Amino acid sequence: MDIFVQQLVNSLSVASVTILIGIGITLIFGLAGIVNFAHGEFLMVGGMATWFMVGAGMNFFVALVLAGLLVGALGFAAERCLFRFTLNRPMNGFIMSIGLSVILQHAVIRVFNEFQKSITDPVGLVWTIGGVDIIAMRAIVVAITAIIVAITYFGISRSRYGMALRASVADRDTAELMGIPVRRYVTGVFIYGSLLAGIGGALMISLFPITPFTGSVIIIRGFAVSLIGGLGNVGGAVVGGLVLGLVDGLSAGYGYPEWTDAYSLVVMILILVLRPQGLLGGTLGPKAS
Amino acid sequence: MRQLGLGLTIAAAGLAMALQTARADEELPIGVIAAQSGSFVSAGNTIVGAANLAAQQINDAGGIKVGDKTYKIKLYIRDNRTDVNVTIAAARELVNDIGVKAIWGTETHDFSVSMAKITGPAKVLQFSGNSSLGAVLDNKAVAEDGWLHYTFQSEPQEWQRSGSTGKGVLSLLTPQLKSPPKHSVVFVGNDATGQYLSSHYVKALEAEGQKVDLVQYPPDTTDFSPLLTRIKGMKPDIVHFWYNGDSTLTAFPQALKLGVAPSYFLFGVDPGIYQERSLKADVPVTLSCVPVCWGSSPYPEVKQYFDKYFGLGAAKGPQSSVSLLYYDYFFWYAKALEKVGKIDDPDAVVAELLKSDYKGVVSPVPLVFNKHHQVTFATEVCMVEPNTSDQFKCAVEQPPAAPPPGDNGG
Repeated sequence: MDIFVQQLVNSLSVASVTILIGIGITLIFGLAGIVNFAHGEFLMVGGMATWFMVGAGMNFFVALVLAGLLVGALGFAAERCLFRFTLNRPMNGFIMSIGLSVILQHAVIRVFNEFQKSITDPVGLVWTIGGVDIIAMRAIVVAITAIIVAITYFGISRSRYGMALRASVADRDTAELMGIPVRRYVTGVFIYGSLLAGIGGALMISLFPITPFTGSVIIIRGFAVSLIGGLGNVGGAVVGGLVLGLVDGLSAGYGYPEWTDAYSLVVMILILVLRPQGLLGGTLGPKAS
Repeated sequence: MRQLGLGLTIAAAGLAMALQTARADEELPIGVIAAQSGSFVSAGNTIVGAANLAAQQINDAGGIKVGDKTYKIKLYIRDNRTDVNVTIAAARELVNDIGVKAIWGTETHDFSVSMAKITGPAKVLQFSGNSSLGAVLDNKAVAEDGWLHYTFQSEPQEWQRSGSTGKGVLSLLTPQLKSPPKHSVVFVGNDATGQYLSSHYVKALEAEGQKVDLVQYPPDTTDFSPLLTRIKGMKPDIVHFWYNGDSTLTAFPQALKLGVAPSYFLFGVDPGIYQERSLKADVPVTLSCVPVCWGSSPYPEVKQYFDKYFGLGAAKGPQSSVSLLYYDYFFWYAKALEKVGKIDDPDAVVAELLKSDYKGVVSPVPLVFNKHHQVTFATEVCMVEPNTSDQFKCAVEQPPAAPPPGDNGG
């Protein structure tokens, strides 16, 4: 029983970083209509920046905020210099983003090196409750993710900005006629999604080492989460992340461990076949824009 | 005046060409194929680093005297981008267009085998540091008309490495545990190399009386906690993190936090990295490197080598020591060329390599190729004192004389 509860606790923290990257993708892909395959590299850059700052003696939580801002600025530059020219041709943006991901990987290798980077656990505590080991930093990652999810959810569903954004997704031309600065909103979404990737990278390196190639692995899970939940749907990304986290955790614990990745992708395929719009429904992605 | 100028220009160009030809005659073109980009870059860069250092040292020492000529090594380094197709294209270019006499590389079994299908027919020597080549280097393959006649495995056979590693780990850990360890879990990435290497290591541990469970994880796993929790439920005496140093460095701290086992073995993690990462465990931990640790070597030659290697700007990483699978063979090859007296007789060079030995950096005992073109050398295993990051006790364990029961040696 202890082992089973431990697996559930593990699954929750696994899901957290995936949820963060999933939210970034679901906003950028589902609401701004941009397929950014370099989003995983944005996360990696956030993690590398955190590693650098913590290595220079900065407090982890300060570094986390700065990493988010840095990657947000990177997102701003990428949107203004690259993706805004592909808004009407999402496929061009997609191909461009693959190129950008390779460039970012090798820029990081050039600036630092190719080896994995890690930081010491910023908290360094393990709580044992009823035979279950809860790593304190993992609990903090879950809490930070929950706060970000709440802010994002209410921002999208309740604020004027969120309403205008959703109106832009529903009918861009009409939204523009109503005076909504759609282009600026797209930029804003891109920056926010990138900022989340930066924070996700910082949280990730607090749990696991990262390499310049971490992003290309995690991006697949990010897209899976956003598609399972429903594109553009923040709640969907949370549900998608939890589903994948639970499937990962329990299949690794009780299934054939070497098939762990396959189990979660089979679940994704099944969900997309049975509910093409995702579990909670969402936009239809770039085509709708 | 204009004609005189033209004449001088032509003469100068002719002289330059002649000098160029003369200089080309004294160059020994050697190819290096390694990942300088893509996911194998951390291993690939070590091959390039070793090649640059060896070529620089040989050239600075005056070059290679072959017959009445002196050759300087000219390296042709190609990035395989961690892609087998790029590897094949690079091998074709080096062999067919540039005409290299030998190629060093590459990181993985599959890539090296693909290269051998190009180097073999062209009679170009190939030095590859993949123990998994043992699966294909047999009597027929290395015969004079065999497709691997010109290929040499610069890493010991896997049953040898596994045998000496397993013995070293158990001999260091047993006195540290309350009772002799009986149950080991081998934790390994589920890719071709992981499957091959672990198949030998499991048998080596079984030969030492261990009950062994094998748990494989998908490559690129970052969160090992579910799998480690599963292993914790198996109640092992030792968890052996096998094969991939990067994955081990990710998984091991998670295992410590979850209290998975009373002792650990980390394969491919150098004591230097353990120290650099400030890793600490309250239980005994053993480490081994491929092939010799840069962070805690018992041999002064190895320390000098790594001082020079890192002095050239190579990064310190879990796989830096892999460079030693390539370095010595430049000198051995040069020695063979000098003995043969010709650079264009690869069959004679192969024969010379097979009958000669070479005392290099990687082993205090001279290296010798066996009839399957494989070397043998000992494995170094270190133990870190509990609750420290920099207190190591290392032992060098000789390989067993024969494969363990159930291991066909291939």
